[in-house]
Amino acid sequence: MLKFLIHRLGGALVVLAIVAVLVFALTRLASGDPVALLLGDQATAEDIAQARVQYGLDKPLPVQFALWVGELLQGNLGQSIFLQQPVAQTLLERAEPTLMLALLAVGIAALIGVPCGMAAAIWRGSPSDQLLSSVAMLGASVPSFWFGLILIQLFAVKLGWFPASGYGSPDASFAERFTHLLLPALVLGVLNSALIIRFTRASMLDILGEDYVRTARAKGLGEATVMTKHVLRNALVPIITVLGLTLALMIGGTVVTETVFNLPGVGNLVVRAVLRRDYPVIQGTLLMIASVYVFINLAIDLAYTLVDPRIRLEGK
Amino acid sequence: MQTKKPRQPLQPAQGFAVMRRDLLGLAAASAAWWCGMGAAQAQQRGGAVNLAMIGEPQGLDPMVSTADLVGTVMQHVYEPLYTFDGQWAIAPMLAEALPQVSKDGLLYQIALRKGVKLHNGRELNAEDVLASLRRWMEVSPRGKAVAKEVEALTASGPLAIEIKLKAPYAPLLAQLALPTGMAAIMAKESLAPQIKEFIGTGPYKLKERRPDQFIVLVRHESYSARKEAASGYAGKREALIDELRFVPVPNANTRIEGALSGQFHYADLLPVEAAGRVDKGAPAVVPIVTPNFGFPYIVLNTQEGVLAKPALRQAVQTATGQAELMAAGFGNPRFFTAEPNFFPKGTPFYADAGAKQYNQRNPQSAKEQAAKAGYNGQPLRIMVSRQYEFHYNIALVLNEQLKKAGFKTEMQVVDWATLVQRRNDAKLWDLFITHSGVFPEPMLSPPQLGEGAPGGWDTPAKKVALTSFNQESDPAKRGALWGRVQQLVYDEVPFIEVGKFNSLSARSAKLQGYTPLFWPFFWNTSLAK
Repeated sequence: MLKFLIHRLGGALVVLAIVAVLVFALTRLASGDPVALLLGDQATAEDIAQARVQYGLDKPLPVQFALWVGELLQGNLGQSIFLQQPVAQTLLERAEPTLMLALLAVGIAALIGVPCGMAAAIWRGSPSDQLLSSVAMLGASVPSFWFGLILIQLFAVKLGWFPASGYGSPDASFAERFTHLLLPALVLGVLNSALIIRFTRASMLDILGEDYVRTARAKGLGEATVMTKHVLRNALVPIITVLGLTLALMIGGTVVTETVFNLPGVGNLVVRAVLRRDYPVIQGTLLMIASVYVFINLAIDLAYTLVDPRIRLEGK
Repeated sequence: MQTKKPRQPLQPAQGFAVMRRDLLGLAAASAAWWCGMGAAQAQQRGGAVNLAMIGEPQGLDPMVSTADLVGTVMQHVYEPLYTFDGQWAIAPMLAEALPQVSKDGLLYQIALRKGVKLHNGRELNAEDVLASLRRWMEVSPRGKAVAKEVEALTASGPLAIEIKLKAPYAPLLAQLALPTGMAAIMAKESLAPQIKEFIGTGPYKLKERRPDQFIVLVRHESYSARKEAASGYAGKREALIDELRFVPVPNANTRIEGALSGQFHYADLLPVEAAGRVDKGAPAVVPIVTPNFGFPYIVLNTQEGVLAKPALRQAVQTATGQAELMAAGFGNPRFFTAEPNFFPKGTPFYADAGAKQYNQRNPQSAKEQAAKAGYNGQPLRIMVSRQYEFHYNIALVLNEQLKKAGFKTEMQVVDWATLVQRRNDAKLWDLFITHSGVFPEPMLSPPQLGEGAPGGWDTPAKKVALTSFNQESDPAKRGALWGRVQQLVYDEVPFIEVGKFNSLSARSAKLQGYTPLFWPFFWNTSLAK
């Protein structure tokens, strides 16, 4: 188990080193100047050149890269040019809404997706299966910004049940912030449940065809026991994978939903940082997102070993 | 109550208005006052308002950035020596009165108001003002331009300063009054290359900034208000609302929905296509239309490339049909005007100079002019961003107009950050599209009238025209001199003014006493229960 863990951790560090190089290179390859944006329209080229020196942007790229890596190794993600605060602090502030949103959305997706997928598999070929499969297909095709706007129109503007956007007032309680997350979580949860339905259905169907399921039934076990103890447990591996990956995707990829609902999350931060060319924020955030992906994948691998001991043995 | 008033439709563009925002809102507020309905509530203190702005300001230091958003927020925290009143005339703010100016126009003696409290409780003095103005002249793009005109800046007493100029410079007070790139007066002890403590004299003080979430300002309890009646940015300021929360909401749709749902008490700069939806939000939501809010313009590269030849720039102007460009940019005619005058009728700088050269849309004549100037088919690189959709729409039509006149063109559609960077390199473009606000003093915008701006316009004729304009302090004579500058712009074509557009914003009917102006402010504003 330890060897398995060390092997995976080593691989993760290599991936992160490659990501660091790529993120730096791609950020600097893109045109645009954060300082010109910062100073505004009346700034002359001379003003801009002066400010670039202040932010160290006049140094050669390899020097800038070395300085960044040096800071990273000391645990410092740098200082935002635009927001004028440490990147780590910015990220920490943005992590809460994104994580809460992602967890809530995955919860909603799982609550809808797993039972519906199971039902579709159990009643394979029936009208219920066809209906669920069609709904899943529709769900996967709906753009999140459109669905978000519809929910805002209905629940915020017309009914006034939920706030239209944001993450609560400055002195908001946890409950108030939670209400701000419900609509966006519903958007992401419902849309992602489509994928979960399809995965659960496919995974359940695979397992239903296995010999040991037939054996269990032949032994006279009740259908409920067969389903929960034999089918669902074994079908869980791909479902955990897809739920984990959905969570990871949401942490970096809730951009559209966060934009529509003006949630100050990580996805929103990345988009705004790119538009502002806030290099330290782009670099720091993308590196953090990559780390989350890598470590969620690692966690998924570990979860596999708990569900299926064969995987643990293969790693030895 | 305003909420009971019948919904008022949006109005078409009108001539220059003293109040630039919310003519409707202003009319409604006046009506409410006359009916005796608003007076009691307009004075009500307390509450917190959510103000949806178009994005996160570029920092909180109003000297460093000339962005409107920074000025809009920080004008509540910092005050200048002078400001603009309801007629766009210069009025004193931290200065006791208008300055004593020597006959030769070189010495400005400025007395400061007594007993003005800073946010840290100390009284403001001449040392704070001198230190602030010196910093402004070092770090602010606007301040640097003024610094070139200043011979000396000294204190002549504990509450008096003197500005000595090298040559008469008429725009001085307007430069000191502008909220963007602001000559903000700050506590001397808070001054630093990067300001950490934002200590001013304004009716509000900074409580908290959480980037991309909100900036919270709270009432400055010891605020020293002027005694004169409020007018525009001038006169008595009173912080009636306890807490102002500026919320960055870059997505226009989200600003609209937030205003309609009642979450935002004010939503800034909405797309004009949303007018119908805002209108439908009445009576709870009040649309704000500001005539002559800004002007799109096309900058031509006078430094390098094809258009370095003035005759070719004139050919481009001849090919251009500004009315068509404005229609492409703003759709509905009630949101724009296409006219040759850079300043609207009724203002001191209204001039019809160059009118014949405006909106020619004459491809044949342009073709002949270009051939005569030796045009040999090099592509004109039109740089544009989609950050502002009207820029892009204008560029699309301009591209067609130029092609029709025989020009080879090349559209460079880039994002705003790239455009802002590339426009400083004269080798990379021939024309680019941008826009600016219509300000009360010509020298405040566009930057091409100053030095070092993209496009590199720098000719002897420009120097002569602008020097005589800037050195003339008599407002009546300045008007005539501006006509000459406007004519010169039409002759040398460093930029092409396209037209003027109106802006659309919205406020909740609960937000009372709101005075609509270019940079929205929320002192003297209260929140009805």
